[in-house]
Amino acid sequence: MSAEPQIELVGIDKHYGSFHALKNIDLTIPKGAFVALVGPSGCGKSTLLRSLAGLETISGGTMKIAGEQMNGVPPRKRDVAMVFQSYALYPHMTVEQNLTYSLRLKRVPKAEAARAAREVAETTGLTPLLGRYPRELSGGQRQRVAMGRAIIRNPKAFLFDEPLSNLDAALRVHMRKEIRALHDRLGATSVYVTHDQIEAMTMADHVVVMRDGVIEQQGSPLELYDTPASKFVAGFIGSPAMNFVPGKVSADGQSVQPDLPGAGSVALGRSVGAGRSVLIGLRPEHLQVGGDGPAVLRLPVSAVESTGSMTYLTLGGDPEIMVVDTGRTSVKAGDTISVSIEPGNVHLFDPATEKAI
Amino acid sequence: MAKFFNSLRDGVGFDLILVGAAMVFLLALAGLPLVYNVLMSFQQVDMFTLGQLIRPFAGISNYVAVVQQPEFWMVTRNTLVFVVGSMAGQFVLGFALAVFFAQKFPGAATIRGLFLVSWVMPGLVVGAIWSWILAGDFGVLNSILRGLGIIQSNIFWKSDPSFSIWAVIIANIWLGLAFNMLLLSVGLAAIPRDLYEAAELDGANAWQRFWTITLPMMRSTIGAVLSLGLIGTLQQFDLFPALTEGGPANTSNVAGYWSWQLSFQLYDFAKGATVSVMMFVLVLFASILYVRSTRHEVRG
Repeated sequence: MSAEPQIELVGIDKHYGSFHALKNIDLTIPKGAFVALVGPSGCGKSTLLRSLAGLETISGGTMKIAGEQMNGVPPRKRDVAMVFQSYALYPHMTVEQNLTYSLRLKRVPKAEAARAAREVAETTGLTPLLGRYPRELSGGQRQRVAMGRAIIRNPKAFLFDEPLSNLDAALRVHMRKEIRALHDRLGATSVYVTHDQIEAMTMADHVVVMRDGVIEQQGSPLELYDTPASKFVAGFIGSPAMNFVPGKVSADGQSVQPDLPGAGSVALGRSVGAGRSVLIGLRPEHLQVGGDGPAVLRLPVSAVESTGSMTYLTLGGDPEIMVVDTGRTSVKAGDTISVSIEPGNVHLFDPATEKAI
Repeated sequence: MAKFFNSLRDGVGFDLILVGAAMVFLLALAGLPLVYNVLMSFQQVDMFTLGQLIRPFAGISNYVAVVQQPEFWMVTRNTLVFVVGSMAGQFVLGFALAVFFAQKFPGAATIRGLFLVSWVMPGLVVGAIWSWILAGDFGVLNSILRGLGIIQSNIFWKSDPSFSIWAVIIANIWLGLAFNMLLLSVGLAAIPRDLYEAAELDGANAWQRFWTITLPMMRSTIGAVLSLGLIGTLQQFDLFPALTEGGPANTSNVAGYWSWQLSFQLYDFAKGATVSVMMFVLVLFASILYVRSTRHEVRG
């Protein structure tokens, strides 16, 4: 990945009447990067993507694609391709006509367009389907046509708007890899919008977590997982979601005492402001049943769900604590168990600002 | 086949009553007059045999006589001009208005609704209004055209043989405009927005989007609008008595009005029936086109 920026957003603002959809967004995307915009619905991620495409006009800030200022440039002159959630295939055109639509608009000679369509069909596995109409294709095949239509243009950037959300789970996992492989093969620059943090984590080099029109945090997937900047990011990244328990830092600042009956103090391995109230963040997969460390929590088990490879234990009631245990366990609902955690895996958040401490 | 019919039955006969009522209604009010009309076109009908069902058989002599009428070709030509002119005007203007109102601007839906006024107005009233607008000496249209410098002297729309058919066409375009716009608006609204967005990103300008997305996606709607427009235009009657009465000298006479004149002014019922049978064949043809066009719906 070269460092040369392909997309530069500085201070992007977007208002819909009195609604402030994007608030001062700064984002630089290097050439060849795969960036995921992720967040709950209404966080502005789709608006940001559509602004990049030119389908929404921004209210303020500057937007550059490949070094050229794009503010006010109509979508057809931006040279970016978009894959829509609905695929937006042209229903009255065959797969081949869908693929070559942009070329035909540019008056590319017929033979050349047909050759390009064959090449793209080859890469996307559409060769036997070139003569079909979109209504005769399955969801996954339509998805591929939408991808092919983007690829054939060799655009400056690929924009994906939740492209996998209409596919069933198995196909989604497959297409995830396929899209990423295609991205690597083409050396493309991709911006990928999703509400599914797993998609973002598995596909992207760089994940941008958005909430209420602002970027909460951006970084590599593991950075976000290991050092979430806020309670929101901590809760959003990772599945099942992080547990949050109110607590108080001890007098020496070296450990924290969860505010739960029967809980022991948790070593932090670092020093934090003594005596302050905090929110303790514990990832379900970091909590060990039994474990070697000193017991952190001792709580009754309210539910046991086993998937075979994993066992999900729900402890206590208010708040519920989720524990993921690999493999099988003899723990049953009603048992009271102890769980422990490594000091390095404990996250602390300020209860008022919800920022990480 | 038996299985198919069984799937339509509810077992107690209520379904038969429902279907039967509709069939009786159709046969009595559409089927019988139609058959009677076709029958009459092959008979000698005069004032003495008017009340009888069985009259002397005339073979195709009524058809020959109609074609040999001196005004036949004039009326045929007028009908053609009237149908093509009205449909073209209604469709092009209706489509333009539909596209216009599909843009989002304040009050678009309300103003579009107001356009429907022209559609709910009785043809005779529309005819009366346009009769004033088109009046040669005091009409507002002449006064506007003069004011704009397009014409120097008044055009006598309703009594000038070279304009009389156009007077009726103008009124008919106004009358059918809203109906065309409404159907085309529905068709436009059914095209998903993201198709336009995809086309825009693929590099299509507004004009190219219209030709490559809107028009092909509207195929079935356009087929329906044109077929219904043909039927509606051939059936247009009210405007003729209100505006020109087919004159002067049949220069604005069309098949439908001529058929009425033959039957109910000249009491030549056989010829009147013959003309309407000729029209019926045309409308039947259009109906088949309409049914076929709605069958070819494009579905995503």
